[in-house]
Amino acid sequence: MNHRMPDRPDFEAIEAYVLDRMSTEERSAFERRMAGDPALRAEMELEREQILAVELGGLRRVLSDLASEEMRRDADPARWSLLKYAAVLALLLCGALWWFLRPSVHERLFAEHFMADPGLPVAMSATHDPVFADAMVSYKEGNYVEARARWARLLQKEPLNDTLRYFTASTFLAEGDTKSAIPMLEPLAASGTSAFAPKARWYLFLAYVRTGAVDRALALPVEEDPLRGDQARAIKHELNAQ
Amino acid sequence: MPETRPSRPAADDRLAGLVRNDPVSLRALYTAHFRTVRRFVLANSGTSSDASDVFQEAVTILWVRAREGSLAAGTDPGAFLFSIARNKWLDVVRSSDHRRMTIVHDQRLDMASSEPDDGVEDRIARLKAIYETLDDKCRTVLDRFYFERKDLATIARELGVEEESIRTIKYRCMMKLRAQRAIIRDGKESRP
Repeated sequence: MNHRMPDRPDFEAIEAYVLDRMSTEERSAFERRMAGDPALRAEMELEREQILAVELGGLRRVLSDLASEEMRRDADPARWSLLKYAAVLALLLCGALWWFLRPSVHERLFAEHFMADPGLPVAMSATHDPVFADAMVSYKEGNYVEARARWARLLQKEPLNDTLRYFTASTFLAEGDTKSAIPMLEPLAASGTSAFAPKARWYLFLAYVRTGAVDRALALPVEEDPLRGDQARAIKHELNAQ
Repeated sequence: MPETRPSRPAADDRLAGLVRNDPVSLRALYTAHFRTVRRFVLANSGTSSDASDVFQEAVTILWVRAREGSLAAGTDPGAFLFSIARNKWLDVVRSSDHRRMTIVHDQRLDMASSEPDDGVEDRIARLKAIYETLDDKCRTVLDRFYFERKDLATIARELGVEEESIRTIKYRCMMKLRAQRAIIRDGKESRP
């Protein structure tokens, strides 16, 4: 049924009914009109659905914004931690002092190039270790303390397990605790057998950059890394130019 | 004897806020329930982005149901959202593209789904298709009036135009939408 388009007064009357902006008397009168005019009722149903479509569009926009906020927090937890830290310091009127004492070039290079390891895909089944997998879920959620505590229990049983050591170090890095990550990454980065060696070298390199250990950073052969070689060369170039 | 206050009022408030598109209630729903869904999806081979997608679909269904008045009495929004999002993700995991994924057992998987299959997803798809036909100018005005529920004077002030212009734009946009719907509908009807 293709009705003729309503004129503006009719459209606005229907709109007032759909949006519940009529008085009780007006509403009753309008419903009496609809009872005797199927075309008017059909027009009302049409307009109600159009308004619902517009509202749904608005809802999806808001949900998308909320999801983006959440993603931003997930993508850069270290930066969020720093921001919160900076805010507290600012409140304590120490922010400015903190800022000037920071090795700003090193911090900037780290912030520009650091992206927390996204973690391993988790597909829990009887063939996988559920404790490890559960910790990996916590890691991906940004619950680094919880993930580390779970992996620490596994590390007691397997202190040389490179996966556990690498991801434990990753929790420290993601929290911004570079100094705690370095001693865990050093043996992994020097390992000739671990599958995590290239990534460990890259993160150790960034950790050295951040802490100002420039000589150690320059000595790491990260520019040979096929994935991160270009980034490494650019950072080394900037360090050498200082 | 003092009355005890169960958690129902908070849930009811959130649903009432959702029905009137209140941004604070929407944010509260997101904050309170997204992480549970994300944990389930992450534990079942998904990513945060997957979790975000199924959660948004679940909120959309909750919103439509609340607006239609078809939610069962006493529905807990958190349980509803988890149930819908979980089923959506399990559909993905069981689809042909994801056959190798395995599913971690969760006691909530044992819950029977209370979501009736009455075509709500088809209705949502139709509403989305209708909205997609709007241009940016119409979206801006209609979104503020119908979704954000601002009055014409406020929208006119925000956009720097006369109130009467906004009223005219709103009417024209809705008529344009009506005409586009007829084209979409007639196109579908004329298909063999």
